[in-house]
Amino acid sequence: MRAGKKVSAEVSSPKKKEKKNKNKQENEEKENEMANKTQLKKVQSDKQKQSSVKKHDEEGQKLQRGKERRKEEDLDNESESGSDSDESDYQDFSEDISGDYESLGQSDDGESESEGGQSKSSGDEVHGDNDDEDNVDDHHREDQSDGSEDHQGVEESDSSEDEVAPRNTIGDVPLEWYKDEKHIGYDISGKKINKKERQDKLASFLANVDDSKNWRKIYDEYNDEEVELTKEETRLIRRLLKGKAPHGDFDPYADYVDWFKYDDALHPLSNAPEPKRRFIPSKWESKKVVQYVRAIRKGLIKFDEPKEEKPQFYLLWGDDSSAAEKANRLAYIPAPKSKLPGHEESYNPSLEYIPTQEELNSYQLMYDEDRPKFIPKRFTSFRSIPAYENGVKESFERCMDLYLCPRVRKKRVNIDPETLKPKLPSRKDLKPYPTTCYLEYKGHKGAVMSISTEASGQWIASGSSDGTVRIWEVESGRCLKVWEIGEAVQSVVWNPSPELPVLAVAAGLDVLILNTGFGSEEEQKRVKELLRLEIPTAPDGIDNMASIVSWLQDERLEGIRLRHFKNVSSVEWHRRGDYLSTVMPAGESRAIIMHQLSKKLSHRIPFKLHGLPVSSVFHPTRSVFFISTKKNIRVYDLLKQKLIKKLETGLKEVSSIAIHPAGDNVIVGSREGKLCWFDMDLSSKPYRVLKCHPKDITNVAFHRSYPLFASCSDDCTAYVFHGMVYSDLNQNPLIVPLEILRGHTSSNGRGVLDCKFHPRQPWLFTAGADSVIRLFCH
Amino acid sequence: MPKHYRPPGKKKEGNAARYITRSQTLKHLQVNTRLFRKLCIYKGIFPREPKKKFRGNHQTYYHLKDVAFIRHDPILEELRAKSTYTKKVIKAKAKKNKELADILLKRQPEIKLDRLVLERYPHFVDALRDLDDPLTLVHLFAALPASDRLRIEVKRVHNCRKLSHEWQAYIARTHKLRKVFISVKGIYYQAEVEGQKITWLTPHGMQQVLPDDDVVYDVLLTFLEFYETLLAFVNFKLYHSINVKYPPILDPRLEASAAELYALSRYFDANSRPSEQVEATQSEEAELRLAQLQHQLPSNEPGALMQLVKGAGDENEEDEDTKECKELFKNMKFFLSREVPRESLLFVIPAFGGIVSWEGEGAPFSEADQSITYQIVDRPTQGHVYLSREYVQPQWVYDCVNTRIILPTEAYMVGRVPPPHLSPFVDNEAEGYVPDYAETIKRLKAAAENEILPMPGVGKEDLDDPQNLLAEGYITRAEAIEAAERKQKMMTLEKQYHDELKMELQGMQYSSSASDLDKQKSDEYMESREESLPDMPQISNDAADMSKLLMSRKKRGLYEAMKKGQERKKAHVDLLKERKKKIESAQKSSKKN
Repeated sequence: MRAGKKVSAEVSSPKKKEKKNKNKQENEEKENEMANKTQLKKVQSDKQKQSSVKKHDEEGQKLQRGKERRKEEDLDNESESGSDSDESDYQDFSEDISGDYESLGQSDDGESESEGGQSKSSGDEVHGDNDDEDNVDDHHREDQSDGSEDHQGVEESDSSEDEVAPRNTIGDVPLEWYKDEKHIGYDISGKKINKKERQDKLASFLANVDDSKNWRKIYDEYNDEEVELTKEETRLIRRLLKGKAPHGDFDPYADYVDWFKYDDALHPLSNAPEPKRRFIPSKWESKKVVQYVRAIRKGLIKFDEPKEEKPQFYLLWGDDSSAAEKANRLAYIPAPKSKLPGHEESYNPSLEYIPTQEELNSYQLMYDEDRPKFIPKRFTSFRSIPAYENGVKESFERCMDLYLCPRVRKKRVNIDPETLKPKLPSRKDLKPYPTTCYLEYKGHKGAVMSISTEASGQWIASGSSDGTVRIWEVESGRCLKVWEIGEAVQSVVWNPSPELPVLAVAAGLDVLILNTGFGSEEEQKRVKELLRLEIPTAPDGIDNMASIVSWLQDERLEGIRLRHFKNVSSVEWHRRGDYLSTVMPAGESRAIIMHQLSKKLSHRIPFKLHGLPVSSVFHPTRSVFFISTKKNIRVYDLLKQKLIKKLETGLKEVSSIAIHPAGDNVIVGSREGKLCWFDMDLSSKPYRVLKCHPKDITNVAFHRSYPLFASCSDDCTAYVFHGMVYSDLNQNPLIVPLEILRGHTSSNGRGVLDCKFHPRQPWLFTAGADSVIRLFCH
Repeated sequence: MPKHYRPPGKKKEGNAARYITRSQTLKHLQVNTRLFRKLCIYKGIFPREPKKKFRGNHQTYYHLKDVAFIRHDPILEELRAKSTYTKKVIKAKAKKNKELADILLKRQPEIKLDRLVLERYPHFVDALRDLDDPLTLVHLFAALPASDRLRIEVKRVHNCRKLSHEWQAYIARTHKLRKVFISVKGIYYQAEVEGQKITWLTPHGMQQVLPDDDVVYDVLLTFLEFYETLLAFVNFKLYHSINVKYPPILDPRLEASAAELYALSRYFDANSRPSEQVEATQSEEAELRLAQLQHQLPSNEPGALMQLVKGAGDENEEDEDTKECKELFKNMKFFLSREVPRESLLFVIPAFGGIVSWEGEGAPFSEADQSITYQIVDRPTQGHVYLSREYVQPQWVYDCVNTRIILPTEAYMVGRVPPPHLSPFVDNEAEGYVPDYAETIKRLKAAAENEILPMPGVGKEDLDDPQNLLAEGYITRAEAIEAAERKQKMMTLEKQYHDELKMELQGMQYSSSASDLDKQKSDEYMESREESLPDMPQISNDAADMSKLLMSRKKRGLYEAMKKGQERKKAHVDLLKERKKKIESAQKSSKKN
């Protein structure tokens, strides 16, 4: 290596010289070059001694003759190359001159190229030279190897490995970097080593076939050359592959050779006398032994002998009474036992337990949850029963239930459902009450919207959607009088006072007050007087009532017509018969108007309305006024003009209201078919809610003297209840459903539109949408 | 939680203080889900339902006391120790340290569950009450194939077999078996031990399927572990009560030929002599004690002493049912053919007092034995027929057992389709539908009891007092009512006749008075009829509606739910009746054709 470096330095130095003095001194250079070459020759020969020598080891004399011939050729080449190099140098020089100091790189390239060429040629020379020397060496070496292959071969190879330097000098860099280049690297002199042409496959194959030694050849990628391995080398490789030491004669387990010998020494290494403890048994050991012995005796140390077989099971519940002590735990709830199998789980059930094919098909259409878990099957003999495929799964599910299901002690109600029904007083004891249809009043052409009984109970008035108001005699069913109003009648009400036989009829925008013509002459006179308007219109600037109501004289019907600004839905008389209230649901803040018949005056009520008004009722004894809106019922004191109570019905839409004759109880019917009973002394919430009708309740009514009340609905039925109110305040009202009255037929989706009790008898009138009025008697 | 320390945010009282959710429990006990599951199964802890579910409906709630009950139990520590120990073993195995692994495996800590059994069932009766599930699971595992993959060990399967046979042997020995039912799912047995009805299910003796999905075998095996222990102790107690040593030592030859039940019965027989001796000594002791008591008791209380004696006498006696069961198959010899389910019949027949043998090794007597009365066969045809015995299908035995009479064997002959096998667990009348065969059996039973054979439909006129008959179990309730009506009618007619006679005797004009009376009566009758006449269903409906009106909402809901249940039941019965009608009509038409 050192020699190589030196050479390269020497090589580089002339280049610099060239650059510096580029004029001439060609001769000098030539000399230099020549010196270089000779030096190189020597170096190369030294380096490649081994490889080349070995290559040519086995070749015989034939080769030697060839070599001689080659020597001559090499000599020729040398002379030629020398001239070549001269020329190239010259050319370079001329180029340099002509290029006028071109860039260093370029000139370098040129030089290196030329040098490469030189080196090549020189290499060849070297080879040739080498061969001569090699031959000499070979002979010399062969002798050696023959003589002492075992001993010296090893040393030789080691040294040679150290000595032989690779041809390539690129160092430890990836060879990929040179993959695309033409050269594989640089030699010692820094010249490029061009890649050899690789043998194509065919050639290599042929070479393989031709040369039996070809398998020994290894391609050295780094140096781009083929190396043939010697026998020794192959052996070495084999040993390495086996994981042995590379050299066969190396003994890895050689005997230890003690290099220090003191046999003949004058003094021992330690002059101390042999201690006593070397000659007596160890105390510590004996202690330990004693310890173990004791432990074994005591049974602390057990040997791996089979354990003593204790009886695994014993009388656990020996004395039951002693086990009665209570564990500190919550009460144990035993798991419910699994259901016992019925007939259908039999392997051979009666035929009727097996579902038919259609039923099986229908199971397929069911939801998973609804589908029966177990489908009965029939096997004709015991031996044909297969294993049950869900056995393990079912017991697993049971286990899951046992440890995952929350357990609760539940009282199982094992009673007859009929016992749940409340014990009602016998209906027979609560007689009389209307039970059967006794009379039918026919004559109306349209649905009978409203009926009203006269205070004496001799007459009833009815208003229908065909625009007529009729008066019937109750007992005979004769129609006494007919008024043609011309508009669908919404409401008909008799005046409650017996001295004033007057009807109030609500139809469209109007409320008509009609003279029925009953009563004595005196009464008739008074009525006629009352129904005559002195002043056609009552101007009342303050209240601005004129825009709401106007009092008109109706000549045709011989009555008063109160024209409102909106449709009137219901009319209600005060108990004395002087006042009447009208409700216009669309009237907003002016929805409820009170009229005074004697003074022919109208007032707005002095209360604010909350919500849509449905109806308004006067208290039967006191001056209290009820206004029912859709949700609530408000009770006002008319004298003090303030709110007394608000009854919260909890209903969606109130349709009707009736007040118990004593005045403390109210029933409210609703459009969802619920009937609420309010005990106003008790609370503002319903005392009882009865869900009796599937459809809207159209009207509710109390009997004036009997403890009865009724509700009628669009489902064509009317319910009659016993509703007893006790004078004792501690006793809650008694409500008993008594009878369901049927008979009306439905028309246009409406059933019974109104019901009223007879004032004296326990009879009920019902007005149907089928234009019939029915009287139900006891 | 101690009372003096309450962390912030923790409730003082109410449901939130008393219950914790499952995940909280896990955190509280510092266990993982598997260990928790194991603890719950061993300790019998189940979730509870707080009145107010403060963490939502989807959570599972445990009572704090239950959790504390788990936490204070040493089993928790034992299980933890065991799990760490198994980790050691696994580690040793992973390091290929086989020696250490072996040593460790040898010294594995044992977990004993006997304490837990006693804790959960402080009285023997409690254990018997809860024995249904253990028996069913043990019987199931006795029939399952062992599987390495699912960790069902051969040892455990054998143990299950052993336990189930021991149990069956006890039941058969003491004649405690009451009902047997062959269902598609397996064979149900019901026994009555110390007044507790114990029902269990044994699978049919086939290769059982081990489903892979849906079933977590860990859970089953944990349950099984507890149940095995429980059943072993129960067996011990039961064997102890009849003075037989437990665990029994069996004849290895019989055990090998899978006739363990028979082996067990032999074992019982062998052990019976010492038991008698023990009984004798016991009775002596009792007498001694009685004598002592007699001295102690004041002489003016003879009643108490009498009772004592009586009680002592009663204990020895078996109850009526057991006697009946014991003598059902008395003096009968059964022989089982190869193809019949041997295990079940070997259990059932001795339980009802019969003697049984089978085809195979170790059988007490062979097929050629002339004293055999019944041979149980389950094949389409029988080759060689002994005339001295009857050949019946296995179902005959079970039906006899359920009805407690020896049924005629015609219907159960070889090759025939046997009559329907009915469940003995159903109260037909409560169910509302009585299958035909149940009626037949009832008649047969009545006949067997009275030694007469009334044909169906004949001789009903003779039945005077329906009440008596009902008591005797002759006729159903419906029939009783009918009979009562008939009787009433007869009585009225009789009365009328007597009245007329009387009047005639009194010399009154027969025609007028009688007709008057008649008229009155008929009027009354008519009235009552008329009142109820118009639209009967409507009125009854109305009445129902009206009484429903006044119910509170809660009660109404309950009422409606009950009604719905009743209707469902009725619909089921109707469906059965309809199917039956169809089947009958089809049969008729096919006969005509």
